[in-house]
Amino acid sequence: MEEEFYGAAYKGSKQFTQQQVKTANATGFGAAADDYMERGVDLNEQLIINKPATFFFRMSGEAMAGAGIYPNDVLIVDRSIKATNGKVIVAAIDGELLVRRLQTSFNRLTLVAENKNFKPLEIGEFSQYSAWGVVTCVIHILDTSLQAYQSNRNHNMQRTAI
Amino acid sequence: MKAIVDCNNFYCSCERLFKPHLETKPVVVLSNNDGCIISRSDEAKKLGVEMAGPYFMAKPLIEKNNVAVFSSNYNLYGDLSWRVMETLRMMIGKKNVEVYSVDEAFVDLSIFPKEDLPAIAKEIRETVEQWTGIKVSVGVAPTKVLSKLANRLSKKDKEKTGCVMVLDTDDKIIEALHKTEVGDIWGVGHQYAKKLKALWCIYDALQLRNVSEEFAHTHLGGVVGVRLIRELKGIPTKEMEDELVTKKMIATTRMFGSPVEDINDIKEAIATYTSRAAEKLRRQHGAAKMISVFVVTKEQNHTIDFKDRYESGTLTTSAILPVATSFTNELIKPAVELVDKLYKKGKLYKKAGVMLSGIVPDESIQGNLFLSETKNCERKLMDMIDNVNFSQRDDVLKFAASGTTRDWKMRQELRSPRYTTRWTELYELH
Repeated sequence: MEEEFYGAAYKGSKQFTQQQVKTANATGFGAAADDYMERGVDLNEQLIINKPATFFFRMSGEAMAGAGIYPNDVLIVDRSIKATNGKVIVAAIDGELLVRRLQTSFNRLTLVAENKNFKPLEIGEFSQYSAWGVVTCVIHILDTSLQAYQSNRNHNMQRTAI
Repeated sequence: MKAIVDCNNFYCSCERLFKPHLETKPVVVLSNNDGCIISRSDEAKKLGVEMAGPYFMAKPLIEKNNVAVFSSNYNLYGDLSWRVMETLRMMIGKKNVEVYSVDEAFVDLSIFPKEDLPAIAKEIRETVEQWTGIKVSVGVAPTKVLSKLANRLSKKDKEKTGCVMVLDTDDKIIEALHKTEVGDIWGVGHQYAKKLKALWCIYDALQLRNVSEEFAHTHLGGVVGVRLIRELKGIPTKEMEDELVTKKMIATTRMFGSPVEDINDIKEAIATYTSRAAEKLRRQHGAAKMISVFVVTKEQNHTIDFKDRYESGTLTTSAILPVATSFTNELIKPAVELVDKLYKKGKLYKKAGVMLSGIVPDESIQGNLFLSETKNCERKLMDMIDNVNFSQRDDVLKFAASGTTRDWKMRQELRSPRYTTRWTELYELH
């Protein structure tokens, strides 16, 4: 019961019952391992704290390369986390969404890129600013085979799209 | 005490979430096929853009004032709706939330002490906006009807109320009732409001509350009227309902992108709508005994009504199925045969639809021992199709009768990306 109040517990795809956990189903003598069967690890469970407040974005551009965010990476953004000094955030600034590191000092807010070619953006008195969410994680694809798999999958979906 | 949490101009708020430059600009969202205006931001309302008005009529006003226009993006709205409801469930507990529509939920707040309610209501509003980006209004009162009324008033003067209104004393309830016209009470229709004013000089909700129960019983639709009066008095008569209500009929209808002449195009459309309806049917573990199909020709009136088929000029026909079923293949066959019955060569068709009725619980779901082996296999096939389509999106698996090209598909020229449900349409950050 406790958990139902204000609990931001993960409520995702892993809600199956014990009976749904796959066992070896061996017909011979293999059944010993069945006693130790448990749910496999699930990325959603590890990477998403609060599902209704979590959104995915795609990085475009090199502005945050210094923070390990490269073009085409997927960002996991949690709106329920407070944007404070030093966090990498998605900011709504003058009508645009940007990803930058937030720096606060003496009531002065600055959005800093992690790339020498980008100037820090000071949030002036008249700029329209709000913190959209906090970037909690970056998904960076390393191997080309996974890239190919993803684009193939997306292509197939597009082809069948209504 | 009960609350209703209602999203402000929901579809417009969804569009704004990923487009902060529209935060203070007028925005409208169009219905399926870009026909009518179905959501307006406060700024658009102020300009005089009319709700449910045809888009082409509002176009000059829209263009002159630079109003942002969007085709409906139900994938996005559906996802954000789930997020709003899930936030409420996590805050107040699953059992205390009743989803009333895509953008409204009743919340039972009886677990909280009365003096905390203003703070709780404010926290609900702030948390939903923080987590999901959707602004909501919260009306709190002893009954559902009164909470609806509070919600309406909180929206009227957002600056003053902060989109929250709690009717926790008799004085506040009386003031709110006095400010509300009878026609604006939840459950009082336009015709009833006219009658109340003309015959009995009842103009506001306070006057209505003061009529006797006998009067309500005779003149306000019997028990329903009595319940309404009690709700207005603060005596709950409408309790929280279970969320998943089993539907008695399921319909899927759409306008074609442009008028269609060929019978095969119509058959493909009907087959697709049948698949969609069968999917909904299986989701509620039902099986249908009857299937109806209708088509609307270009000259005919827009409105479709399965009951007044002769008046609205819609062509409809139906078939009783030998056994109740939820299998797409068993439903597509009669549906397509019904199209043969309705179709007249040389006419242009602009709309079609399928309705499943006579819905009973599906007995084949548990793998029935007394059913033939093939039935159980078909059941498994349907589960598989549903699972694949749900995880892969966009009908990856479909019946060949649904066609492969879809010339008749919906017009949605101004739809924004499906930011939250498609990997290929994620928002690109710089």
